[in-house]
Amino acid sequence: MSTITRDTVPAISVTNLSHAFKGHQALSQVTFCVMPQTLHGFVGPNGAGKTTTLKAICTLLKPNWGEVQVFGHSVRNDSVAVRRRIGFMPDHFSMYRQMTVFEYLDFFAAAYGLPVRQRDTVIHDVLTLTDMEGRRDDLISGLSRGMQQRVSLARVLVHDPDLLLLDEPASGLDPRARIELMEILRELRRMGKTVFISSHILSELAELCDSVTIIDRGQIKFSGPMDILLESPDERPLYNLKLATISETAMQRIKELPGVETVSEPEFATGRDYNIQLAPATSANEFLRQLLTLDLSITSFSQQRRHLNQAFMDLTTRGVRT
Amino acid sequence: MISGVTTLFNWTLKMDSKSIYPHIVRAGFAGAMLFAISMSFTDVFGTGSMGLRFFELVCTLNVLIITVSGISYFVTAVTEEKDAGTYALLRLAGMNSLSITLGKSTSRLVSSLMLLVIQMPFTFLSITLGGVLWNQIVAAYLALAAWMILVANLALFCSVRCATSGRAAGLAATTIGVFVFLPRISTAFLGAIPPGVLSTGTIAFLGSIPAVCSKISVFDRLAEILGLTSGFTMLGIDFSTGLTTISTASIKGEVSIVAGQFWSSLLTALVLFVISTVTLDFWSAPADTAGPSENKSVRRWAVGRCWNLSIAWKEFLFFTGGRTFAIAKFLAGGLVFAGFRMFQEMDGYSNGLALRGDYSWWAFLTFMMTLTAEVLLYSSGCLFYEVRQQTQSTLATVPISSVRILVEKFAGCAIALIPAIVWIFITLILSDGTIVRNCSATMVSSYLIMLGFASHLAALLSLYTRWAALPLTILLATPAFFCMAAPILGLTAVTSVFARSHNIEVTLLLSSIINVFWTWMFVLLPLQIWIRDRWIALSQQ
Repeated sequence: MSTITRDTVPAISVTNLSHAFKGHQALSQVTFCVMPQTLHGFVGPNGAGKTTTLKAICTLLKPNWGEVQVFGHSVRNDSVAVRRRIGFMPDHFSMYRQMTVFEYLDFFAAAYGLPVRQRDTVIHDVLTLTDMEGRRDDLISGLSRGMQQRVSLARVLVHDPDLLLLDEPASGLDPRARIELMEILRELRRMGKTVFISSHILSELAELCDSVTIIDRGQIKFSGPMDILLESPDERPLYNLKLATISETAMQRIKELPGVETVSEPEFATGRDYNIQLAPATSANEFLRQLLTLDLSITSFSQQRRHLNQAFMDLTTRGVRT
Repeated sequence: MISGVTTLFNWTLKMDSKSIYPHIVRAGFAGAMLFAISMSFTDVFGTGSMGLRFFELVCTLNVLIITVSGISYFVTAVTEEKDAGTYALLRLAGMNSLSITLGKSTSRLVSSLMLLVIQMPFTFLSITLGGVLWNQIVAAYLALAAWMILVANLALFCSVRCATSGRAAGLAATTIGVFVFLPRISTAFLGAIPPGVLSTGTIAFLGSIPAVCSKISVFDRLAEILGLTSGFTMLGIDFSTGLTTISTASIKGEVSIVAGQFWSSLLTALVLFVISTVTLDFWSAPADTAGPSENKSVRRWAVGRCWNLSIAWKEFLFFTGGRTFAIAKFLAGGLVFAGFRMFQEMDGYSNGLALRGDYSWWAFLTFMMTLTAEVLLYSSGCLFYEVRQQTQSTLATVPISSVRILVEKFAGCAIALIPAIVWIFITLILSDGTIVRNCSATMVSSYLIMLGFASHLAALLSLYTRWAALPLTILLATPAFFCMAAPILGLTAVTSVFARSHNIEVTLLLSSIINVFWTWMFVLLPLQIWIRDRWIALSQQ
């Protein structure tokens, strides 16, 4: 008999989830899975069904069809157990602005049933993690948007949840606050938390996430590791070569190498970058060996990967869903 | 500027006409008028002044609704922008102070005046029923319109002056309360004070207060129009300033259509509007809230640590005003009690701490009215402010059931009622028995049923309407009470008969328990389920 350990149970398991609002099909047969201790991106155009899916996961919405489980607990039948293991940060600032930071966190810690003595330690810890310890006695209404976002994040951490559900956590933040938020999320992953993050900022998700789910018009277009998504769909990879100095003859000399099919300069070329397509039978190692014989001052040679933006555009449909 | 005003005005009117709730309010008003007709029919069947009774009821209802609207609906004209943080956007759109005050308040005023206009054809029915002439109806509606314009502009001033809707409502309620009761208090004070204690100037000033208030009092004017020699009463209380002049002509229905009350109300409203417009920039500048809150130790004492019943703590501390406000209310209650005690002393009755006769009855009524007002304000606001702050979805993700959240909210508000309840009991204990003599068991149980029903209705309506929950509750609760009273009394009677047939003695206590049970079962429980379902639905949005 096999034993199910904590790590083998998915953090989130969504199976055939469908939901309609007044005849409008918001989700249709949505199925994906998020493994524990990973940072999972959830991407989709406006109105794709991201927030509906998040609400179903965090027990706010009872879906019409399908099953959602969080660490093996059904959101439909065991919502209290699910709520104890998740921390949900909505996409809007829903805070009690008349409270101080400490009072706000104390309130939520008490709501999760933490005893007074433990609350002090926990609040200190989450404020340290979010770098808000110095503002604990400030009124929330007086904090900047970035700081309010940090307090929101601290709030979802007070009961030490295993899964964080973050809906557009970086929206409206300035670049500095955004970078700092991403750092905090990386730290949380290091601490063993599972982070499920819905965001529009694809470049940051690409750097941050281990896996990603792309949803469009209520249907899942891709769900899996980020590496697989970012691999070029073309079977023959494209390589990028970067030189230290500009050489007028370099392009011609590379073209003449055996096994090279095409050499082109990328958009916004600086004269030092080249995109190289090799013939099917030529390996990258073999080409690199020959390239070194040309005695060019090479700074980098890498397989070109699709950017998440491109993958997103390829997988999703133009226009707003009606 | 004109385009800004018309845009705001049109937008608000469009929103008003598209939303179903204003139409429900209007339909409710039509229902209330039907109720008024039936009430007057039962009251004066066979006598000649049924139309007068009907019209008096309609006027009472209007004064009540307009006054409550001032506290809840008009008062949010500017504060709703401040609450939502959109005030700065209006300024960025190039709107000046006049555009904002005009655009935001006029649309509400027009929408409310329409409520008066639609009643007029129905009220002409009272001419047919007898006892009222057409000029009395027109005069009464002009008086009501003037009162509405005055209340709307007072509320606009409070809305400009205060940072939040709650504070503005508090200021408006206090101002209206002072305006209504000041003439009576100053007259009683002057009558009770021994000669030579106050200077001539002070006596002249205090003596002029009733006359000034009488000039703009809608109660005096309505009493004059309707020829009510006993003064204009609402909920059994005479709100007239005591200076109402009832001439033989007014008893015969020969009244001037436009009187001093109309012009003085309009003038006062204009002054309030100008002050609001001029001071809008000053009072609406963003507050510098950055940095630590007030003195840490004071805050720590006032707020303290969160209780295990966390939501009750939040409601008590951050919705009802918390410990400091509760202490302030308790002290204010003491002052009111001491005031009545002082008047009694001046009247020549010295009876230790005890209050006697009318003094104990009026002190009791004052505290009961405070309790009622608090209950209605809390019930119409405690769920609404959660929705307004969009915090209900965050609250819904904590591992606490929706029912417990609602119960804890109720508990938090109930704690805030303690000062008023304590003073009711103190007044009862220190009374000479007048209160017990004046209160029948039916009156007490009717009051409790009514309060329970109205508070539930206010809580439910607050989850549907923006700020109109309180006036709508008053509009619906009164006729609904009479509709449900008969079945409840009938069920109580049936249960009593059933109990007697089984040799169970029906005592007053048992009878009350039966009454409360049936009320809860058939009235409050369905409302509670409805509130819970609506709360859950809003949490999902």
